[in-house]
Amino acid sequence: MYRLALRMLLGDRAKYVMLVGGLTFASLLMTQQCAVFFGLLSWTTSHMRNMRASIWVVDPKVEQINEVKPMRDTDVNRVRTVTGVAYAVPLYTGIIQARIADGSFKPIEMVGLDATTLVGRPPRILSGRLEDLRLPNTVMIDELAVQRLSLNKNRPLRIGDTFEINDREARVIGICRTDRHFFGYPYVFTTYDEAMQFAPRTRKMLSIVLAEPAPGWSAAQTARQIEKETQLKAYTEAEFERSTIKWFFLNTGIPASFGTTILLGFIVGMAISGQTFYSFVLENLKHLGALKAMGASNGLLARMLLLQAMTVGMIGYGLGVGLTVLFGIAVLKKGQPPFLMPYQLPLFTLVVILLICAFAALLGIRKIYKLEPAVVFRG
Amino acid sequence: MLFKKVSFYLAIGGILGTVWLVQELRKTPPRPEPAQQPARSPYSNAVAATGIIEAARENVKIGAPKGGLIQKICVQIGSQVKAGEPMLKLDERETWAQLQTMSAQVEAMRASLQSEKVLAADAADQFKRTDNLEKQNVASVDERTRKHFSLQSMEARVAKIEADIKAAEAQVGLAQTNLEILTIRAPRDGTVLQLNVREGEYAGLTPTEPLMILGDTEHLQIRADVDEQNAPLVVANQPAVAFLKGDTQNPIPLRFVRIEPFVVPKRSLTGDSAERVDPRVLQIIFELDRPTTPLYVGQQMDVFIQRPASAAVAKNP
Repeated sequence: MYRLALRMLLGDRAKYVMLVGGLTFASLLMTQQCAVFFGLLSWTTSHMRNMRASIWVVDPKVEQINEVKPMRDTDVNRVRTVTGVAYAVPLYTGIIQARIADGSFKPIEMVGLDATTLVGRPPRILSGRLEDLRLPNTVMIDELAVQRLSLNKNRPLRIGDTFEINDREARVIGICRTDRHFFGYPYVFTTYDEAMQFAPRTRKMLSIVLAEPAPGWSAAQTARQIEKETQLKAYTEAEFERSTIKWFFLNTGIPASFGTTILLGFIVGMAISGQTFYSFVLENLKHLGALKAMGASNGLLARMLLLQAMTVGMIGYGLGVGLTVLFGIAVLKKGQPPFLMPYQLPLFTLVVILLICAFAALLGIRKIYKLEPAVVFRG
Repeated sequence: MLFKKVSFYLAIGGILGTVWLVQELRKTPPRPEPAQQPARSPYSNAVAATGIIEAARENVKIGAPKGGLIQKICVQIGSQVKAGEPMLKLDERETWAQLQTMSAQVEAMRASLQSEKVLAADAADQFKRTDNLEKQNVASVDERTRKHFSLQSMEARVAKIEADIKAAEAQVGLAQTNLEILTIRAPRDGTVLQLNVREGEYAGLTPTEPLMILGDTEHLQIRADVDEQNAPLVVANQPAVAFLKGDTQNPIPLRFVRIEPFVVPKRSLTGDSAERVDPRVLQIIFELDRPTTPLYVGQQMDVFIQRPASAAVAKNP
């Protein structure tokens, strides 16, 4: 009987394509939009993956990583003094104009690392040695900077090449791979002392203090201790990430606009597949009636419909996420638009698609329960 | 019959692809270790500070007594000098010329004094003779009186010239002192740490940087800056260690000397005299024995000063 159900489903090619197409579209729309949304959210915290540290100490009013208020230089020593801190180092971040040889200028995100320890350095270095940053006027740039700051496409920026930051010459000593900045600016790493020279002078220059908990202390314990003793704000990595994302939820329209798209995908998918499946059931009513007349129970017929719905659901889902993966691969190679697929996302889409299918099957099942076997004979 | 459908295999492929991509995206590089171990406090409770190495008796910034062109520099960077040894000579031609003029004037005055003395002797002789003649009633009283006045006038002239010579000699002394001043001498024994001027340059009275810095590099001390907000945590006579920037594995033990009673705006962190931020810092002086690694005056250090548990703001949770 179940074979019969599948034959019924696959026999009518047009209907089958229509059904699978609707579900593919729905799952593609939801997965892809969610992935882009998560990607965009991950861009907001890209600083935290390009500069790694357990504890981030910032001005008490700072809520998110992309907006930091400078602190006084001696605050590094205040953090070092706190019990439970293994070490603390200064970090500078700021957006500065870079100028290339043909006179055009590009904004860059300058990061100044502590010269001795280079804590907060980028995890993936493609060429060059980060230790060379201790030479004067040197910077390490990311791949995006290579693209942006090169004079022409045939001659990308290489180690040893120079450009200008704030009227000072900067020499490239290495290239690294970074996660993309939320504003799309390339990252340029240098030492804290050099960054002081590159950056325009302001009264306070220290952006962030990166700290590590002492043995026997958890990052959260140490963070609370720092807050207690220095009155500065200390975040662990996870806390800062959460706080940043929360800030974007509260202060920007990004979640609302993406939420709408995802909801529309859900509604459209549900409407299309529900309606198509229902009309499929209607058209096959004769056959189902015949089966019922031959003695098939309602339960069996319901299970047959459920099997049909779940089959198209799984195939539609597989095609949909498959297309999302193709999109993702293409996009990740290019670097934008943003894309991120945590494991929860395909699971969530799967559940939603199966819900849509169950809903569509339910409509058909209701029809079958009301079906008089005699309908077959009405011509 | 499902297995004959292309869409079935595409769907399987899509799901497998998803699993693969999720795995790929979960791969994040591990957190990189510090390139070099950062300076860590060896004490469970410590006050962190930034220190700068200076000569034990503070560095002397040599200045010029008056503005002038630099004629000769008698020392080099690193020269050992004894107190009183000349270090730098300013242009002395003008003062030298003044001295010459003054001396010549003194000579001229001495010469005229000589002639005046002769005239005075003549006047004295004439008066003496006229006096005798007057006693014998040969000369008139009037004549004797005139000779007497003439003698007094000559004596006064001699006295005036003698006084003039004294004044001129004092002028010579002044010129000599001026000449002396143009040679800048070491105020005490030490080593020339910095030399910021060259021969032919102008030494101003208020230079942006000192002409040279003299210090005693045998005995070094560390001036540690503690943020004023941490000042209550600092207790005198506590042990401390210092780490050189760039050498965080060799702690240098420090001995407490004193706490500077005057809290000053922070200066030493970047060494830039135009430091932008002005938190106030409590300065604590430590002395140290020279370690085997070379130390230089002016180097920055990370300093950790032990603080007794009672001074801790909070206990371990």
